[in-house]
Amino acid sequence: MGCSLASSLVDLKKKLKRDLNPDLLFIEPSEMVVTQELLDVTAMGLRDIRYDIGPFITLVDGPQFGFLWTERQSLLLGQMHKADLVAVSRIDLIEHDELADINHTLKDYCPRLIALSTTNGRGIKEVVKQIH
Amino acid sequence: MRVVSVSGARGSGKTTLIRSLVAHFRSAAKKSAVIVNEEGQTPFDEEFIQTHDLSVKYIRGG
Repeated sequence: MGCSLASSLVDLKKKLKRDLNPDLLFIEPSEMVVTQELLDVTAMGLRDIRYDIGPFITLVDGPQFGFLWTERQSLLLGQMHKADLVAVSRIDLIEHDELADINHTLKDYCPRLIALSTTNGRGIKEVVKQIH
Repeated sequence: MRVVSVSGARGSGKTTLIRSLVAHFRSAAKKSAVIVNEEGQTPFDEEFIQTHDLSVKYIRGG
């Protein structure tokens, strides 16, 4: 994340806090941003205003996992590292065996991995609980 | 205000998950806002924004 973008994100966060003060501010970062980077940028706004940080959730796309693990492993691990919750997403589009393989591959990198499907609702309660 | 991030590859369901969470917390009278640094495959349409009293801001670049 470049300095200009980081600055824009901090400014926008401060403006939303001052103008709307929502209970929850969701950030959907670019697919190229790693969690540590986002944590650092999020903490920058604390110099001026108060808010709570986290959870930081990382989605590991179930159907795309093979490609991501082969071609973008470093990025994927960077997004998983420091995340409060890692979820294998869109599991309704993969077979049970594929999910088991993903869990096996990632078990050394992420001790807690949940399965998520917004289509059938699996895992949503765990995400909500993490936010609470 | 609590800042919650949802990271992942394009198409991994970030926007869809955020939409589900916004709807969930709206039903509990919690107000949400979203900052998007990447347009998802399921954008936040005007009807959803109005229905959920949601504020959505976009920032470009990555």
